[in-house]
Amino acid sequence: MRTGAAPSAAYDDVPYTRGGTVERTDVGALVRSAADGDAAAWKAIVEGLGPLVWSVVRAHRLSDADAHEVYQTVWFRFAQHLGRIREPDKAGAWLSSTARNECLKVHRNARRLMLTDDPHLLDRVSEDGAPEQSLLEAEEAAAQSERVRRLWQEFEELGERCRQLLRVLIASPPPSYQEVSAALGIAVGSIGPLRQRCLRRLRARLEARGAA
Amino acid sequence: MNGTDDAHGTNDAHGTDDAHGMNGMNGGAAFDEDPAAAEPDGEDLDAELLEEELRRAAAVLDPLPPALLQTAVDAYALHDLDARVAELTFDSLVDAIPVRGAMDAPRMLTFSAGEVTVDVEVTGQGLMGQLLPPRPARIEVLGGPQPGAPLTADDMGRFTADTPPSGPFALRLRTGGDVVVTEWLRA
Repeated sequence: MRTGAAPSAAYDDVPYTRGGTVERTDVGALVRSAADGDAAAWKAIVEGLGPLVWSVVRAHRLSDADAHEVYQTVWFRFAQHLGRIREPDKAGAWLSSTARNECLKVHRNARRLMLTDDPHLLDRVSEDGAPEQSLLEAEEAAAQSERVRRLWQEFEELGERCRQLLRVLIASPPPSYQEVSAALGIAVGSIGPLRQRCLRRLRARLEARGAA
Repeated sequence: MNGTDDAHGTNDAHGTDDAHGMNGMNGGAAFDEDPAAAEPDGEDLDAELLEEELRRAAAVLDPLPPALLQTAVDAYALHDLDARVAELTFDSLVDAIPVRGAMDAPRMLTFSAGEVTVDVEVTGQGLMGQLLPPRPARIEVLGGPQPGAPLTADDMGRFTADTPPSGPFALRLRTGGDVVVTEWLRA
């Protein structure tokens, strides 16, 4: 019913209606305020975009220690450049592409000298229970968390390209496609179709596993 | 990419994919709520739902560690209006062709701020560098917002440190009345 071109035009509409773009319209204002000395604005930027930077780093499959260091480096550099960011409205894309570049350097430097691991950087806090769980009946919670784990496992086993794209897309709040493009070095126009394809593949895996 | 054609092919036939109970129902509900949306097809909706489910899973299984969030909040102290930033203009990791067999070649970095150039070489043994044009300077090796280890550049602008920086680092150089900070990066 559609020609080849029609679906991609439909996909192209998606990025601009996604939450990220809307919720981040004030990023430019926050960046300018932070540059002028407003620490609360800085905190708001960190809280709004920190999860995106984390997602970009996680999408690149670094060791925990590398992931932590890249994350820090990105924010240190952003703080350093704060008053000089050319397009404050695109701070999310700036952070994403900086994170990507640092991740790629880690891969290039795979044989880098092993430096002493800083033990407190290796603390894992991911296993903290979700607060919502206390609201559920114990059995329901167990079933739910089993479902979440199964979903995550299938996600982890997707092809590398899909896993990477989805890991960035599922940052919270959802990133704009411009940010995703900066994070992964892929054209904005190809994100929609790839996303569709990857989610379809993930759905198929779940169904093959009898999760439906 | 060949795959894209496949994707469209499957997409055209998406009607069959929608036959999975819940997804079809949700699709119907959304139709009712949002009549203005032009033909949101079931697959789009299913994709939305799956993505959202995955987002919640990520929030539980791979969240941003709170300590890192705090580090980024604290990084605001690195916003220094008085310092000039020396940008990274050469990084051997990116700009140099690797020499065959030289697997642990030193990392060579060059930073520039106007007429000031800082050449830095990082090895497993430490760090050495030179400030150009040559001049004495007091240097701090920063690893974060805290004060860094002090170094001194001699009259030729040369400086060395016995321990290599681990993790993010930057050099803050004071020479005359000038303060220059190199762009943050990982050693």
